[in-house]
Amino acid sequence: MSAEAFAIADTCFLIDWASWRHRDLLFELFKTVFVPESVIKEIRSERTVEWIANSLASGSLSLFTETPDVISLARDLVERSKLFPIRGLDLPEAICLAVGKMRNYTVITENRGALMAVDILEELSSVRVWRSLELITEGLRRGLMRGDPRVIFAEYEGDTGHRFPKRDLEVVLLELGGED
Amino acid sequence: MSRNIEEWEKLEEEAREIRRREADWEFIESQNPKVRAALKFYIETGDLYVASRIADMSVEEFNDLRKRARIPNVC
Repeated sequence: MSAEAFAIADTCFLIDWASWRHRDLLFELFKTVFVPESVIKEIRSERTVEWIANSLASGSLSLFTETPDVISLARDLVERSKLFPIRGLDLPEAICLAVGKMRNYTVITENRGALMAVDILEELSSVRVWRSLELITEGLRRGLMRGDPRVIFAEYEGDTGHRFPKRDLEVVLLELGGED
Repeated sequence: MSRNIEEWEKLEEEAREIRRREADWEFIESQNPKVRAALKFYIETGDLYVASRIADMSVEEFNDLRKRARIPNVC
């Protein structure tokens, strides 16, 4: 798992991540994180708006304007995802997956529908999707953060109201050695 | 880590159980009908975007409400 230059983040991820005390780790992992225009409409709090605006100003975040070809592929993905007996995609995360496929960007999301889609839909099998779990793991692995991984993941859960799946977290902690 | 449909169904049920168990049901039941329905939808599906549309809120506003209702975002 290595960080590429570009990523695209969906609303659910950014809103969660913005509450975390080490949120700027994101910009050490990617040169630029693109944000679809639709994400901006979903953000209201002063704290998050300020962080997004400052990050857009510095170039750490960049606005991604959805083009007709992206939207068309995203709509196809939404329809295809609904053919399976699991949670399907909604258009916002489908747009991120379409960009991931078309531009080879890492897709950052906390949306289970997006995670399922890359496992189930053959056309998305090459798309890399990361959650906060993978982002924090990568930050720890590359030495961009220091400290006990258990504490860092627990802080993330406390700051954001997030819950990492127990088994996935155990695998990561085992790999990281549990303690710094 | 690639998973098949059966594995995802199991994980979804586990996540649903966590959301149901940890939610502040008194808080949820005290909300107006639209918000109450949206919070219950979120508990059952984990779908923040659609839940925010049901509540007629932005995603961030609904996410704040989710935290106040003590419903974890399991992912």
